[in-house]
Amino acid sequence: MSNWIELVIFAVLLAAFAVINLYRLCKGPTPGDRMTAGDSMDILITCAMVLFAMYTGRTILLDISIISAMLGIIDTMLVGRYLDNGRWRKK
Amino acid sequence: MILRIVIDVLIGLGAIFALAGTIGVQCMPDLYSRMQASTCITTLGVMGVALGGILYEAILMGNAAAAVKIGVILLLVITINPVGAHAIMKGSYRGGFRPDKPMETDDFREDFNE
Amino acid sequence: MPKTKFSAVCSTFVICMAFWLALTWTLDPQELIAGVIVSIVAALFSARFFIHEKAFWFFNPVKALSMVAYVFVFLWELIKANVDMAKRCFGGCKNINPGIVKVPVDVDGLYPEAMLANSITLTPGTITLDIAEEDGQNYFYIHWIDVSETDRVKAGEIIKGRMERWIRRIWSK
Repeated sequence: MSNWIELVIFAVLLAAFAVINLYRLCKGPTPGDRMTAGDSMDILITCAMVLFAMYTGRTILLDISIISAMLGIIDTMLVGRYLDNGRWRKK
Repeated sequence: MILRIVIDVLIGLGAIFALAGTIGVQCMPDLYSRMQASTCITTLGVMGVALGGILYEAILMGNAAAAVKIGVILLLVITINPVGAHAIMKGSYRGGFRPDKPMETDDFREDFNE
Repeated sequence: MPKTKFSAVCSTFVICMAFWLALTWTLDPQELIAGVIVSIVAALFSARFFIHEKAFWFFNPVKALSMVAYVFVFLWELIKANVDMAKRCFGGCKNINPGIVKVPVDVDGLYPEAMLANSITLTPGTITLDIAEEDGQNYFYIHWIDVSETDRVKAGEIIKGRMERWIRRIWSK
Protein backbone atom coordinates (compact mmCIF):
# COMPACT_ATOMS: atom_id res chain seq x y z
CA MET A 1 0.00 0.00 0.00
CA SER A 2 1.61 3.24 -1.14
CA ASN A 3 0.55 6.87 -0.97
CA TRP A 4 0.03 7.14 -4.74
CA ILE A 5 -3.61 8.16 -4.66
CA GLU A 6 -3.61 9.21 -8.35
CA LEU A 7 -3.24 5.57 -9.43
CA VAL A 8 -6.65 4.86 -7.91
CA ILE A 9 -8.09 7.94 -9.62
CA PHE A 10 -6.83 6.77 -13.02
CA ALA A 11 -8.12 3.24 -12.35
CA VAL A 12 -11.59 4.60 -11.54
CA LEU A 13 -11.48 6.75 -14.70
CA LEU A 14 -10.64 3.72 -16.88
CA ALA A 15 -13.43 1.72 -15.24
CA ALA A 16 -15.82 4.63 -15.96
CA PHE A 17 -14.82 4.50 -19.64
CA ALA A 18 -15.63 0.78 -19.56
CA VAL A 19 -19.10 1.60 -18.23
CA ILE A 20 -19.59 4.07 -21.10
CA ASN A 21 -18.70 1.26 -23.51
CA LEU A 22 -21.37 -0.88 -21.84
CA TYR A 23 -23.98 1.43 -23.39
CA ARG A 24 -22.76 0.56 -26.89
CA LEU A 25 -22.72 -3.12 -25.94
CA CYS A 26 -26.40 -2.97 -24.99
CA LYS A 27 -27.53 -0.76 -27.88
CA GLY A 28 -25.32 -1.74 -30.83
CA PRO A 29 -27.40 -2.73 -33.86
CA THR A 30 -25.12 -5.50 -35.15
CA PRO A 31 -23.14 -8.26 -33.40
CA GLY A 32 -19.90 -6.66 -34.58
CA ASP A 33 -20.71 -3.48 -32.63
CA ARG A 34 -21.36 -5.43 -29.48
CA MET A 35 -18.14 -7.39 -29.84
CA THR A 36 -16.11 -4.23 -30.45
CA ALA A 37 -17.49 -2.65 -27.30
CA GLY A 38 -16.91 -5.86 -25.35
CA ASP A 39 -13.30 -6.04 -26.49
CA SER A 40 -12.71 -2.41 -25.49
CA MET A 41 -14.27 -3.06 -22.08
CA ASP A 42 -12.02 -6.04 -21.56
CA ILE A 43 -8.86 -4.09 -22.38
CA LEU A 44 -9.90 -1.15 -20.18
CA ILE A 45 -10.66 -3.39 -17.21
CA THR A 46 -7.28 -5.08 -17.70
CA CYS A 47 -5.55 -1.68 -17.53
CA ALA A 48 -7.53 -0.67 -14.45
CA MET A 49 -6.55 -3.93 -12.79
CA VAL A 50 -2.86 -3.29 -13.52
CA LEU A 51 -3.13 0.17 -11.92
CA PHE A 52 -4.89 -1.22 -8.87
CA ALA A 53 -2.23 -3.94 -8.51
CA MET A 54 0.43 -1.21 -8.58
CA TYR A 55 -1.40 0.71 -5.84
CA THR A 56 -1.99 -2.17 -3.46
CA GLY A 57 1.17 -4.13 -4.26
CA ARG A 58 -0.71 -7.40 -4.68
CA THR A 59 0.90 -9.17 -7.66
CA ILE A 60 -1.88 -11.78 -7.88
CA LEU A 61 -3.97 -9.15 -9.73
CA LEU A 62 -1.35 -9.10 -12.52
CA ASP A 63 -1.85 -12.83 -13.15
CA ILE A 64 -5.58 -12.28 -13.34
CA SER A 65 -5.13 -9.47 -15.85
CA ILE A 66 -2.91 -11.67 -18.07
CA ILE A 67 -5.66 -14.30 -18.18
CA SER A 68 -8.29 -11.62 -18.82
CA ALA A 69 -6.35 -10.21 -21.79
CA MET A 70 -5.90 -13.68 -23.32
CA LEU A 71 -9.52 -14.79 -22.94
CA GLY A 72 -10.95 -11.51 -24.23
CA ILE A 73 -9.06 -11.82 -27.49
CA ILE A 74 -9.99 -15.48 -27.89
CA ASP A 75 -13.73 -14.79 -27.61
CA THR A 76 -13.46 -11.87 -30.05
CA MET A 77 -11.91 -14.22 -32.59
CA LEU A 78 -14.58 -16.85 -31.90
CA VAL A 79 -17.46 -14.48 -32.65
CA GLY A 80 -15.65 -13.22 -35.75
CA ARG A 81 -15.29 -16.71 -37.15
CA TYR A 82 -18.90 -17.49 -36.27
CA LEU A 83 -20.18 -14.49 -38.24
CA ASP A 84 -18.06 -15.51 -41.22
CA ASN A 85 -20.45 -18.09 -42.68
CA GLY A 86 -22.76 -16.67 -45.30
CA ARG A 87 -25.99 -17.56 -43.58
CA TRP A 88 -26.40 -14.04 -42.17
CA ARG A 89 -26.21 -12.39 -45.56
CA LYS A 90 -29.36 -10.48 -46.47
CA LYS A 91 -30.70 -11.35 -49.90
CA MET B 1 9.78 13.30 -7.53
CA ILE B 2 10.63 13.78 -11.21
CA LEU B 3 9.98 10.09 -11.78
CA ARG B 4 6.56 10.46 -10.20
CA ILE B 5 5.68 13.25 -12.64
CA VAL B 6 6.94 11.18 -15.59
CA ILE B 7 4.86 8.16 -14.56
CA ASP B 8 1.77 10.32 -14.02
CA VAL B 9 2.18 11.91 -17.44
CA LEU B 10 2.53 8.49 -19.11
CA ILE B 11 -0.56 7.07 -17.41
CA GLY B 12 -2.47 10.29 -18.08
CA LEU B 13 -1.63 10.10 -21.80
CA GLY B 14 -2.86 6.52 -21.84
CA ALA B 15 -6.11 7.63 -20.18
CA ILE B 16 -6.53 10.46 -22.73
CA PHE B 17 -6.19 8.06 -25.66
CA ALA B 18 -8.56 5.63 -23.94
CA LEU B 19 -11.08 8.48 -23.64
CA ALA B 20 -10.64 9.27 -27.36
CA GLY B 21 -11.31 5.64 -28.27
CA THR B 22 -14.36 5.50 -26.00
CA ILE B 23 -15.85 8.65 -27.53
CA GLY B 24 -15.15 7.26 -30.99
CA VAL B 25 -16.91 3.98 -30.20
CA GLN B 26 -19.95 5.93 -29.03
CA CYS B 27 -20.33 8.52 -31.78
CA MET B 28 -18.94 7.05 -35.01
CA PRO B 29 -21.69 6.40 -37.58
CA ASP B 30 -21.10 2.80 -38.68
CA LEU B 31 -19.56 -0.47 -37.50
CA TYR B 32 -16.28 -0.22 -39.41
CA SER B 33 -15.48 3.28 -38.20
CA ARG B 34 -16.22 2.22 -34.62
CA MET B 35 -13.75 -0.61 -35.02
CA GLN B 36 -11.11 1.89 -36.19
CA ALA B 37 -11.72 4.13 -33.17
CA SER B 38 -11.42 1.25 -30.73
CA THR B 39 -7.87 0.60 -32.00
CA CYS B 40 -6.80 3.77 -30.14
CA ILE B 41 -7.55 2.06 -26.82
CA THR B 42 -5.57 -1.07 -27.58
CA THR B 43 -2.41 0.65 -28.80
CA LEU B 44 -1.43 3.85 -27.05
CA GLY B 45 -3.90 3.47 -24.18
CA VAL B 46 -2.43 0.16 -23.10
CA MET B 47 1.09 1.29 -23.97
CA GLY B 48 0.97 4.37 -21.74
CA VAL B 49 -0.42 2.52 -18.75
CA ALA B 50 2.01 -0.39 -19.17
CA LEU B 51 5.10 1.79 -19.61
CA GLY B 52 4.16 3.76 -16.51
CA GLY B 53 3.66 0.52 -14.63
CA ILE B 54 7.01 -0.90 -15.75
CA LEU B 55 8.84 2.26 -14.62
CA TYR B 56 7.01 2.26 -11.28
CA GLU B 57 7.62 -1.38 -10.46
CA ALA B 58 11.18 -1.64 -11.78
CA ILE B 59 12.72 1.59 -10.46
CA LEU B 60 10.64 2.71 -7.49
CA MET B 61 9.61 -0.63 -6.00
CA GLY B 62 12.50 -2.78 -7.23
CA ASN B 63 10.04 -5.56 -8.00
CA ALA B 64 11.39 -7.07 -11.22
CA ALA B 65 8.88 -9.94 -11.40
CA ALA B 66 5.91 -7.57 -11.51
CA ALA B 67 7.62 -5.37 -14.13
CA VAL B 68 8.19 -8.41 -16.36
CA LYS B 69 4.56 -9.44 -15.92
CA ILE B 70 3.32 -6.02 -17.01
CA GLY B 71 5.66 -6.28 -20.01
CA VAL B 72 4.12 -9.66 -20.88
CA ILE B 73 0.64 -8.11 -20.74
CA LEU B 74 1.75 -5.32 -23.11
CA LEU B 75 3.30 -7.81 -25.54
CA LEU B 76 0.22 -10.06 -25.49
CA VAL B 77 -2.24 -7.26 -26.14
CA ILE B 78 -0.11 -5.70 -28.89
CA THR B 79 0.56 -8.95 -30.75
CA ILE B 80 -2.74 -10.84 -30.50
CA ASN B 81 -5.29 -8.04 -30.68
CA PRO B 82 -5.05 -7.31 -34.45
CA VAL B 83 -6.04 -10.90 -35.17
CA GLY B 84 -9.36 -10.33 -33.40
CA ALA B 85 -9.83 -7.10 -35.34
CA HIS B 86 -9.31 -8.93 -38.67
CA ALA B 87 -11.79 -11.61 -37.63
CA ILE B 88 -14.54 -9.17 -36.63
CA MET B 89 -14.15 -6.96 -39.73
CA LYS B 90 -14.02 -9.79 -42.27
CA GLY B 91 -16.78 -11.74 -40.54
CA SER B 92 -19.11 -8.73 -40.43
CA TYR B 93 -18.45 -7.83 -44.04
CA ARG B 94 -18.91 -11.35 -45.37
CA GLY B 95 -21.89 -11.84 -43.10
CA GLY B 96 -23.70 -9.05 -44.93
CA PHE B 97 -23.64 -6.16 -42.47
CA ARG B 98 -23.14 -3.07 -44.64
CA PRO B 99 -23.07 0.56 -43.41
CA ASP B 100 -26.18 2.67 -44.04
CA LYS B 101 -24.33 5.36 -45.96
CA PRO B 102 -22.47 3.84 -48.94
CA MET B 103 -18.70 3.99 -48.72
CA GLU B 104 -16.50 6.23 -50.82
CA THR B 105 -14.77 3.38 -52.64
CA ASP B 106 -15.48 -0.28 -52.04
CA ASP B 107 -13.17 -2.69 -53.80
CA PHE B 108 -14.13 -5.66 -51.65
CA ARG B 109 -17.73 -5.68 -52.89
CA GLU B 110 -16.71 -6.88 -56.38
CA ASP B 111 -15.88 -10.30 -55.01
CA PHE B 112 -19.47 -10.94 -53.96
CA ASN B 113 -21.08 -10.13 -57.34
CA GLU B 114 -23.40 -7.50 -55.89
CA MET C 1 -0.38 -30.45 -42.65
CA PRO C 2 3.43 -30.35 -43.00
CA LYS C 3 5.63 -32.72 -41.02
CA THR C 4 7.07 -31.59 -37.68
CA LYS C 5 10.74 -30.68 -38.05
CA PHE C 6 13.29 -31.00 -35.27
CA SER C 7 14.46 -27.39 -35.55
CA ALA C 8 10.85 -26.23 -35.27
CA VAL C 9 10.41 -28.19 -32.04
CA CYS C 10 13.65 -26.70 -30.66
CA SER C 11 12.67 -23.11 -31.37
CA THR C 12 9.14 -23.56 -30.04
CA PHE C 13 10.67 -25.06 -26.89
CA VAL C 14 12.94 -22.02 -26.46
CA ILE C 15 9.97 -19.64 -26.82
CA CYS C 16 7.84 -21.60 -24.34
CA MET C 17 10.69 -21.76 -21.83
CA ALA C 18 11.34 -18.02 -22.09
CA PHE C 19 7.65 -17.37 -21.46
CA TRP C 20 7.68 -19.68 -18.42
CA LEU C 21 10.78 -17.99 -17.00
CA ALA C 22 9.25 -14.55 -17.48
CA LEU C 23 6.07 -15.54 -15.71
CA THR C 24 7.57 -17.40 -12.74
CA TRP C 25 10.77 -15.30 -12.42
CA THR C 26 12.71 -17.71 -10.16
CA LEU C 27 15.69 -20.02 -10.69
CA ASP C 28 14.40 -22.61 -8.23
CA PRO C 29 15.28 -26.11 -9.58
CA GLN C 30 11.77 -27.42 -8.93
CA GLU C 31 10.20 -24.70 -11.07
CA LEU C 32 12.84 -25.17 -13.77
CA ILE C 33 12.21 -28.94 -14.08
CA ALA C 34 8.46 -28.44 -14.26
CA GLY C 35 8.96 -25.74 -16.90
CA VAL C 36 11.20 -27.96 -19.04
CA ILE C 37 8.68 -30.83 -18.97
CA VAL C 38 5.69 -28.61 -19.80
CA SER C 39 7.62 -26.81 -22.56
CA ILE C 40 8.72 -30.06 -24.22
CA VAL C 41 5.16 -31.42 -24.26
CA ALA C 42 3.75 -28.13 -25.59
CA ALA C 43 6.48 -27.91 -28.26
CA LEU C 44 5.90 -31.48 -29.47
CA PHE C 45 2.20 -30.90 -29.93
CA SER C 46 2.16 -27.37 -31.30
CA ALA C 47 5.37 -26.92 -33.34
CA ARG C 48 3.69 -27.87 -36.61
CA PHE C 49 1.20 -25.02 -36.29
CA PHE C 50 3.79 -22.30 -35.87
CA ILE C 51 6.99 -22.80 -37.81
CA HIS C 52 7.16 -23.97 -41.42
CA GLU C 53 10.28 -22.30 -42.77
CA LYS C 54 13.87 -22.01 -41.67
CA ALA C 55 13.67 -21.67 -37.92
CA PHE C 56 16.97 -20.03 -36.96
CA TRP C 57 17.03 -17.02 -39.24
CA PHE C 58 17.13 -14.70 -36.25
CA PHE C 59 20.78 -15.50 -35.45
CA ASN C 60 21.80 -13.37 -38.42
CA PRO C 61 22.85 -10.10 -36.68
CA VAL C 62 21.82 -7.81 -39.54
CA LYS C 63 18.26 -9.13 -39.45
CA ALA C 64 18.06 -8.96 -35.65
CA LEU C 65 19.25 -5.34 -35.71
CA SER C 66 16.75 -4.41 -38.43
CA MET C 67 14.04 -5.98 -36.28
CA VAL C 68 15.04 -3.70 -33.38
CA ALA C 69 15.09 -0.68 -35.71
CA TYR C 70 11.66 -1.63 -37.06
CA VAL C 71 10.18 -1.36 -33.57
CA PHE C 72 11.11 2.33 -33.43
CA VAL C 73 9.94 3.04 -36.99
CA PHE C 74 6.64 1.40 -36.16
CA LEU C 75 6.30 3.32 -32.88
CA TRP C 76 6.70 6.64 -34.70
CA GLU C 77 4.03 5.68 -37.27
CA LEU C 78 1.80 4.53 -34.41
CA ILE C 79 2.06 7.81 -32.52
CA LYS C 80 1.33 9.89 -35.64
CA ALA C 81 -1.74 7.82 -36.53
CA ASN C 82 -2.99 7.85 -32.93
CA VAL C 83 -2.84 11.65 -32.65
CA ASP C 84 -4.68 11.95 -35.97
CA MET C 85 -7.39 9.53 -34.86
CA ALA C 86 -7.77 11.23 -31.46
CA LYS C 87 -8.29 14.58 -33.21
CA ARG C 88 -11.08 13.08 -35.32
CA CYS C 89 -12.72 11.55 -32.23
CA PHE C 90 -12.62 14.71 -30.11
CA GLY C 91 -13.80 16.77 -33.07
CA GLY C 92 -17.20 15.11 -33.01
CA CYS C 93 -16.53 12.26 -35.49
CA LYS C 94 -17.64 14.45 -38.38
CA ASN C 95 -14.73 14.68 -40.83
CA ILE C 96 -14.46 11.02 -41.76
CA ASN C 97 -14.62 9.50 -45.21
CA PRO C 98 -14.50 5.70 -44.91
CA GLY C 99 -13.87 3.28 -47.74
CA ILE C 100 -12.21 0.02 -48.68
CA VAL C 101 -9.22 0.14 -51.04
CA LYS C 102 -7.36 -2.73 -52.69
CA VAL C 103 -3.64 -2.24 -52.39
CA PRO C 104 -0.81 -4.20 -54.07
CA VAL C 105 1.97 -5.36 -51.76
CA ASP C 106 5.41 -6.62 -52.68
CA VAL C 107 6.16 -8.93 -49.76
CA ASP C 108 6.12 -12.69 -50.22
CA GLY C 109 5.85 -15.49 -47.67
CA LEU C 110 3.71 -16.22 -44.65
CA TYR C 111 5.62 -14.35 -41.93
CA PRO C 112 6.16 -11.04 -43.76
CA GLU C 113 2.54 -10.99 -44.91
CA ALA C 114 1.26 -11.59 -41.40
CA MET C 115 3.65 -9.01 -39.95
CA LEU C 116 2.67 -6.32 -42.46
CA ALA C 117 -1.06 -7.03 -42.07
CA ASN C 118 -0.82 -6.84 -38.27
CA SER C 119 1.22 -3.63 -38.42
CA ILE C 120 -1.37 -2.03 -40.70
CA THR C 121 -4.17 -3.15 -38.40
CA LEU C 122 -2.46 -1.80 -35.30
CA THR C 123 -2.14 1.74 -36.66
CA PRO C 124 -5.51 3.43 -36.00
CA GLY C 125 -7.23 4.46 -39.20
CA THR C 126 -6.41 1.40 -41.29
CA ILE C 127 -7.53 -2.21 -40.84
CA THR C 128 -6.70 -5.12 -43.14
CA LEU C 129 -9.73 -7.18 -44.11
CA ASP C 130 -8.39 -9.88 -46.39
CA ILE C 131 -5.44 -11.03 -48.46
CA ALA C 132 -5.92 -12.11 -52.07
CA GLU C 133 -3.55 -13.29 -54.79
CA GLU C 134 -4.13 -12.53 -58.46
CA ASP C 135 -1.60 -13.68 -61.06
CA GLY C 136 1.49 -13.53 -58.93
CA GLN C 137 0.72 -10.26 -57.15
CA ASN C 138 -0.54 -10.11 -53.58
CA TYR C 139 -3.30 -7.67 -52.69
CA PHE C 140 -4.54 -6.43 -49.32
CA TYR C 141 -8.08 -5.16 -48.84
CA ILE C 142 -7.73 -2.27 -46.41
CA HIS C 143 -10.52 -0.33 -44.71
CA TRP C 144 -9.37 3.28 -44.49
CA ILE C 145 -11.03 5.93 -42.35
CA ASP C 146 -10.11 8.84 -44.63
CA VAL C 147 -9.86 7.96 -48.31
CA SER C 148 -7.79 10.78 -49.79
CA GLU C 149 -6.48 8.81 -52.77
CA THR C 150 -8.29 6.21 -54.86
CA ASP C 151 -5.39 5.20 -57.08
CA ARG C 152 -4.14 1.87 -55.76
CA VAL C 153 -0.38 2.34 -55.89
CA LYS C 154 -0.43 5.86 -54.43
CA ALA C 155 -2.85 4.84 -51.68
CA GLY C 156 -0.53 1.93 -50.82
CA GLU C 157 2.41 4.31 -50.63
CA ILE C 158 0.50 6.52 -48.16
CA ILE C 159 -0.73 3.61 -46.01
CA LYS C 160 2.26 1.31 -45.72
CA GLY C 161 5.21 3.21 -47.21
CA ARG C 162 8.03 2.92 -44.70
CA MET C 163 6.79 -0.17 -42.90
CA GLU C 164 6.82 -2.29 -46.07
CA ARG C 165 10.39 -1.29 -46.93
CA TRP C 166 11.62 -2.21 -43.44
CA ILE C 167 9.77 -5.54 -43.46
CA ARG C 168 11.31 -6.44 -46.81
CA ARG C 169 14.69 -5.61 -45.35
CA ILE C 170 14.06 -7.91 -42.37
CA TRP C 171 12.75 -10.92 -44.28
CA SER C 172 14.82 -10.76 -47.48
CA LYS C 173 16.43 -14.07 -48.38
